[in-house]
Amino acid sequence: MAGLFGGSALAPARRALLSWLPFVAAIPLLWVVQRTLAEQPDWEYAFQNINHIGIAIILAVSLNLVNGLTGQFSIGHAGFMAVGGYVSAVLLMRGPAQDPYRLFFIASIAAGAGAAALAGWLVGKPSLRLRGDYLAIVTLGFGEIIRVIIENTPLFGRAIGLSPIPRYADFTWIYTAAIATILVSKRLRDSTHGRAFLSVREDEVAAEAMGVDTTGYKVRAFVISAGMAGVAGALSGSFEGNLSPQSFTFVRSFEVVAMVVLGGMGSITGSTIAAAVLTLLPEYLRAVANLRMVIYSVALIVLMLVRPRGLFGTREAWELFPWRKRRGAPRAVELTEALIDVRHATIRFGGLTAVADFSLQVKPRELVALIGPNGAGKTTVFNLLTGVYPPTEGVILVAGRDTRGLSPHDIAHLGLARTFQNIRLFRELSAFDNVRLGCHHLTRESMGAAVRHGQLSLVEEEWVAKRSDELLSIMGLLHRRDEIAKNLPYGEQRRLEIARALATGPKALLLDEPAAGTNQKEKTELMQLIRGIRDRFGVAIVLIEHDMKLVMGVSERILVLDHGVTIAQGLPREIQTNPRVIEAYLGEKYAREHAGQIAAGQVQP
Amino acid sequence: MAELFQHIINGISVGAIYALIALGYTMVYGVLKLINFAHGDVFMVGAMVGWYVARWTGESQSPSIGGALLIALAAMLVCGTLGFVIERLAYRPLRNSPRLNSLITAIGVSFFLEYGGQYLFGPNPRLFSVLPRQAGLHVGPVSLGYVDVVTLVVSVALMIALQRIVYHTKIGTAMRAVSFNSNVAALMGVNIDLVISFTFVLGSVLAAVAGILYASKYPTVQPLMGLMPGLKAFVAAVLGGIGNVPGAMLGGLVLGLAEQIVSGYVSSTWRDAVAFGILILVLLVRPTGLLGRGEAEKV
Repeated sequence: MAGLFGGSALAPARRALLSWLPFVAAIPLLWVVQRTLAEQPDWEYAFQNINHIGIAIILAVSLNLVNGLTGQFSIGHAGFMAVGGYVSAVLLMRGPAQDPYRLFFIASIAAGAGAAALAGWLVGKPSLRLRGDYLAIVTLGFGEIIRVIIENTPLFGRAIGLSPIPRYADFTWIYTAAIATILVSKRLRDSTHGRAFLSVREDEVAAEAMGVDTTGYKVRAFVISAGMAGVAGALSGSFEGNLSPQSFTFVRSFEVVAMVVLGGMGSITGSTIAAAVLTLLPEYLRAVANLRMVIYSVALIVLMLVRPRGLFGTREAWELFPWRKRRGAPRAVELTEALIDVRHATIRFGGLTAVADFSLQVKPRELVALIGPNGAGKTTVFNLLTGVYPPTEGVILVAGRDTRGLSPHDIAHLGLARTFQNIRLFRELSAFDNVRLGCHHLTRESMGAAVRHGQLSLVEEEWVAKRSDELLSIMGLLHRRDEIAKNLPYGEQRRLEIARALATGPKALLLDEPAAGTNQKEKTELMQLIRGIRDRFGVAIVLIEHDMKLVMGVSERILVLDHGVTIAQGLPREIQTNPRVIEAYLGEKYAREHAGQIAAGQVQP
Repeated sequence: MAELFQHIINGISVGAIYALIALGYTMVYGVLKLINFAHGDVFMVGAMVGWYVARWTGESQSPSIGGALLIALAAMLVCGTLGFVIERLAYRPLRNSPRLNSLITAIGVSFFLEYGGQYLFGPNPRLFSVLPRQAGLHVGPVSLGYVDVVTLVVSVALMIALQRIVYHTKIGTAMRAVSFNSNVAALMGVNIDLVISFTFVLGSVLAAVAGILYASKYPTVQPLMGLMPGLKAFVAAVLGGIGNVPGAMLGGLVLGLAEQIVSGYVSSTWRDAVAFGILILVLLVRPTGLLGRGEAEKV
């Protein structure tokens, strides 16, 4: 894939779209089945069951997010289903009589899902911060209240229910939604968010200690799950053609819980299969109609006693076949100590090769200088490292991660901060605000929290202010705190840029000619300061500098570029006596004429 | 004003029944940390046993105090046994598995009792009359039904008895010890299995009495009659502070009063929403309940 779209900014978007292709391709297939089978009279009864299974799958898989993955216990799923069903039915019954492209239908499903998600938020927000079984009780209560509200509201048809609802939902719609539900929950589970869900289930205290916002994740899982139940309700109403409050009792909620538990907590395939089994089971028990629910409940108790982890446990169906090769099996990894690891990076602008075959490893806390004459490609190297330009060839790893395809802000998140040769402060903002902006990616407050002055937002603001003052003070700029950045003297602007870069909490700091335009004394002081920053913050520093004498004292390793080519690399002593460096700096003619002195180490560039 | 008093009287009467059921929930939760969803159906079984015994002895035709006592004792005996059997067969094997499993089993047992009852008893409500028909008390315009008087007397007596058992007997001390920390209690020589069985029996016996009182008040019996009172009694237990015995009593009374006042002054159709509205409010404002103590989890 990378080869196909290599370097293109659209590559990630295309990759994401392509991954949904099988799903999109499945829709016409469902439609074909619908036309050839489902609409045949012989198959009517079978497809009625199949469609019921589809709706049950949506319910079970969505509840699995909360009960299975996140380990909470919701027993009010039917309530959210009712919210979605009724909202969408009310809209559909008042919508246009003709809906040839089903746009209004889709909108009504979305409205139902949104309403159910909102209800989920309202119920989940207060109850999910509590541990234990409270959620079970609250969701149970919620399911009952919803029913009471429906039975008392004329808009919802009171106890009689709503009818006729336009019957748009058919096999294709239901299974499109079911597959989408499965895909969404599988992808969520396989992501970092899914692991956060699991961590809440396993141990909330440990999860918090790992930085997982447990309440936040519980609420998220709950809201997503409620929204999906809303979709199931909307489809169910439109499939049956009517809705009545009796279909959303506690028994319905409990059936869904039973599906999740029977399938195995957290197993998506388990929920899917259990949804099918438990939907069909009552059909087969119809012969003993009176004893149906008795058998059902006994079967459930026995199952819990005999196989308490459900059919699949926490595994998926395919994991039951051990011979199937596991994807993502452990593979040998090359352990690298390097914080920044550039391997054979080349960048061409049209015909011009700005940097050729550049390799550089920077270890944590190392201080490396990048020197070279004007136009050697030093700043281009920085632009490559920070993702301003993608390399034409080669790989750049930052903190062990391949940065190809990452945008500059992603790379900043990885821990790379930089300053600019031609100062790029936020000119009209105060020095203080410039540094505070550096803290941006360290904060997590949402816009909502900022508006309502949430606890986190206040705590973070205080912390950002304190951190910014500290950095200003370290860089000797505290007295300039509230001055507009553009009014600062040149040297101070450069220091402010360093303070801003440090505010991002970097692992490596890239300084592009920090000493440019300052006098000799200031330069020497600045170099001391840079060393001090390294020691104090424990960051690695890559320093671009023009003046070779200056970097000799401060850097531990020097890399020399000329015309985009690395001509020398090594300890300061070695660089000083390297003939190619001298040639680059002092000219070919000079180097030839003073060859003897150079060899004796008497000439230094 | 008289109307208000009437609502208060009715509220206390219903509340006392809720409190009796809530005690069973709260004690089981205390020792097992399990919401025993089947408890409301044990309550139903109590009423149903009462109905069968009344028919068998002919008490339903000519109820007498002695007959009512006999019926109550029979119901208590059957429910006590039922509670013991449920715990032994359905909950004990799952004591060390995730709580979710016990909850599912509890709901399974609840369904079993409801639909089993429906199979044996038929789904239709039947008239229930085991208490002698007598006029109640009249204090001015406020009337106090005979059933209400009996309910109040019986529940207060039972609650005092329970209080004595829990706080002044050896087994009561053991119950509180298990509820506090079952592992430590076991190390101190408390027979955990015995205590848990006893708790179930005790709760079920109270539920049986509540079932008979409730069925006498409305005077009908039907297999799903345990569902709503069961849920509400659970809310009462949470309201009072789950695991807390006096809390369950208080919660039951508060809930009964709130319900009667809402159905008296707003609309009786909203009565069922009151309980769950209160529940959500409690969880928002004071999740440990009125008398519950907050417990910090040890890390």
